[in-house]
Amino acid sequence: MKKAAGSHRPTRMRSKNRSGFSSDQTSDTAFRSTSISFFRIFIQCMFCIGTLIVGFRFTREAHFLRASFHHPEDSFSRRTGARMGSLVSIGNRSDLDLRIQEEIANDPEAFRLENSETIIRSRVRVDVGRHAILIRPWPHPDPFEVIQAHHLIARVQMEQWQLYGSKESKPIIAITTTFVRSFQAVHLTGLLHTLSLVPVHVTWIVMEAGGVTNETAYFLSKARVHRLLHLGFGDAMPAGLKERGQLEAHMRVEGLRYVREEKMEGIVVFADESNLHSLDFFTEAQKVDWVGALSIGLLGFAGFEETAQSRIADVHQEEVGAGRRDNLFSRRTFEPQVQGPSCDSEGNLVGWHIFDPLPLEEEVYTGIMLAQNRRLEWPNFVLNARAVWKTEGNQPEWIKSWDEWATPKDGSAPDIKAILRDDKQVKVLGDCGRKVLLWWLRAEARADSRHPANWVLDENLEIIVPAKSTPWPDRPVRVPPPPPPPAAATVGTGSKRGAGSRVSGGKGRRSKRRQSRPNIS
Amino acid sequence: MTKDRRYGNFSLLTSFGLLLLFLCQQVSLAAVHHQRISGSAGDVLEDNPVGRLKVFVYELPSKYNKKWLEKDPRCLTHMFAAEEFVHDFLLASPVRTMNPEEADWFYTPVYTTCDLTPNGLPLPFKSPRMMRSAISYISTHWPFWNRTEGGDHFFVVPHDFGACFHYQEEKAIERGVLPLLKRSTLVQTFGQNHHVCLKEGSIVVPPYAPPEKMQSRFIPPSTPRSIFVYFRGLFYDVGNDPEGGYYARGARAAVWENFKDNPLFDISTQHPSTYYEDMQRAIFCLCPLGWAPWSPRLVEGVIFGCIPVIIADDIVLPFADAIPWEKIGVFVAEKDVPNLDKILSLISPEEVLEKQRLLANPAMKQAMLFSQPTLPGDAFHQILNGLARKLPHDPQIYLKPGQTVLNWTEGPAGDLKPW
Repeated sequence: MKKAAGSHRPTRMRSKNRSGFSSDQTSDTAFRSTSISFFRIFIQCMFCIGTLIVGFRFTREAHFLRASFHHPEDSFSRRTGARMGSLVSIGNRSDLDLRIQEEIANDPEAFRLENSETIIRSRVRVDVGRHAILIRPWPHPDPFEVIQAHHLIARVQMEQWQLYGSKESKPIIAITTTFVRSFQAVHLTGLLHTLSLVPVHVTWIVMEAGGVTNETAYFLSKARVHRLLHLGFGDAMPAGLKERGQLEAHMRVEGLRYVREEKMEGIVVFADESNLHSLDFFTEAQKVDWVGALSIGLLGFAGFEETAQSRIADVHQEEVGAGRRDNLFSRRTFEPQVQGPSCDSEGNLVGWHIFDPLPLEEEVYTGIMLAQNRRLEWPNFVLNARAVWKTEGNQPEWIKSWDEWATPKDGSAPDIKAILRDDKQVKVLGDCGRKVLLWWLRAEARADSRHPANWVLDENLEIIVPAKSTPWPDRPVRVPPPPPPPAAATVGTGSKRGAGSRVSGGKGRRSKRRQSRPNIS
Repeated sequence: MTKDRRYGNFSLLTSFGLLLLFLCQQVSLAAVHHQRISGSAGDVLEDNPVGRLKVFVYELPSKYNKKWLEKDPRCLTHMFAAEEFVHDFLLASPVRTMNPEEADWFYTPVYTTCDLTPNGLPLPFKSPRMMRSAISYISTHWPFWNRTEGGDHFFVVPHDFGACFHYQEEKAIERGVLPLLKRSTLVQTFGQNHHVCLKEGSIVVPPYAPPEKMQSRFIPPSTPRSIFVYFRGLFYDVGNDPEGGYYARGARAAVWENFKDNPLFDISTQHPSTYYEDMQRAIFCLCPLGWAPWSPRLVEGVIFGCIPVIIADDIVLPFADAIPWEKIGVFVAEKDVPNLDKILSLISPEEVLEKQRLLANPAMKQAMLFSQPTLPGDAFHQILNGLARKLPHDPQIYLKPGQTVLNWTEGPAGDLKPW
């Protein structure tokens, strides 16, 4: 632990000091006052004993009580250690000198003093001794000051960027696919603010499935980017995940076609709206020559999650079996799933990490997810805009021409990795894929969930209609059978049935009524 | 005659050349990475002391210096290690002279802060006797002490309260500066105005901090500074101050009580392994007093570009005549600690950037370090510059033969025992 200078008293020495006067006299005091009255010695002993009993410097407190009537202080509350009342600082030594004289005359015992001459001789202006701990009554920070502090931080960081930041500042072209849905506001707002904070010029191409809508335009109006292109794509977004992926691939290709035709300069980044970008991502993307690859982390379903089923099973285990308490709270190592390039020790690309989801208890998701995720995502790649230009002669030969990769003949969805003839030419960014600058949040509302336009409610919600008929299967959650009820709770045959099992008919009205009350565990 | 004229022409040419060089330097420093530092003594941070003074190093028996190092090599790494490193530096420095007749300053290498407890804390109880014994040795073996009674001698006393030789402030004040050192120049870390233990004319130096340890932990300067205020250290010293209110005169406890919930303040007693890296990500670093007003945090703050917020009334900072600390750090009175967040957030951004530019000056960082091997402008050179600025000596320090000023029997009885 970092110690301040001098905080190293041997505690043996100091512990002696707890007992009042006598320990303050060390071996080198040569100025004892010779005429000590017996009365003073007696009072001194009483204070000593009092200090031993009570546990703190009694004399100091006594002196404080006297001094507190002399020193009215300002509005701060004073606080000392854990056990004390408040204490006022003793005041300047110079007036102390005068007061020493008069107080020795008046009440010598209340004043701890064995070297009166030396203390008078000292020229110290700042006190040695006990001081109050000043605490202001309203501890919370003033919001105006907090904003000022944040402005200060922002200004300092801007200066740092200007002095030390990356000198390369190629503009960024961000291609995003979106469509109107409940979580569009969540995802798009986050992406919007990220892109607004990128220090270089950003051209944001937003491809919207189902045509340009006002709602998306409403969100996009808040973006502070250099250039915003809001383009519509004819087809509506399908409900199935696999089909969505294909449509998104087509939409991105459409965005790239726009780049190609307008001959935009810069670095093309596939900023999916469900991605979380770090600003370092955009700095790292500047390093690309033609095609770059980096790692993307996956949030929303990582290897540590357990299903509701297994958790219930654990609860039962805990209650029934003995000694298996640790099952419920056992530490699961969090292994973030990362998808991206992988290198050997020299930094050359040797392969790709692909997300491989762990199967759930119910085999419901595996079929759908696996098909989607056996290949790299578009955000893994970063392109130089010139790679898709018409002047194919200027591109290196390991980049395929537009017609070859962007419009596959067999009608399947285009894949960004298909732009490469040779994988090894890809420039691996982010410390060879080890730095994850990009996270994919795989969280989405149900396809048929309703949300109010612009998330503004004019009227109160009166009827809540459950969403039905989605292609995503429900995860049936079985209510766990409750623990057996205590014996005194129910009388008669009803207790043996257990809760949740409603027996209709059978015994009679009385038992039926008893059954019909569910046992809430 | 001709020689004088040639000399005159030559000096004219050199002065003109120097003027041109000076102007060029001013123009070239228009780039705003850092800014030149000039204190009350002028632009002296980068002065070269070689040729401006001569120092004679006394050869004392090894019981005063080397024996202590052999007994406990920790003396070379703790924050009082300046006395050992200054000795090594002077032995190898070009300002050293073997001829004491031409020396301006005399240095006595006595390691008074090397008597360590098993915990590594120096005990000062034998130091007055050791110093006395060393002075009596040099006064009997060389005539130079008696010539001035120490007026042209300097000593390095890096302990908590300098030459008062005690760690408790009350005791240190009672003892005062060792009477035999009354006329000498003291090079010490302690500096507080209107305090007995800071003699007039002393040179205040920073505490020793191992340079390699800090310089190996730099992070890229483009890493944004996102911590507003940073501090790691004790707020309450429960071992030595169980009642509370004595340690740091209650200032550290006030910082904790007022700002422990403030999100802008990253303060804690937990010392992380990324301490140096965190300091480089902070804008302000608190440097409150502890049991003594000085602390190594100042050095660390300067090295890592974190603006030091100094909470110690009347403190005298190292090399105060060469470094204009008011322009570099923020000084907060101890009674204003509850308003610390207001004070810091209301500093204008231009002022903060100015301070950061001053801190970025490599001469500033160099001046705080006792570099091994020595580099121009480091703390050793600043000490020599300080000594050089005190030259020429006041002729009154030279005593007439037979005249004595110091009283060798002055002081507590325990100090008079031989060592």
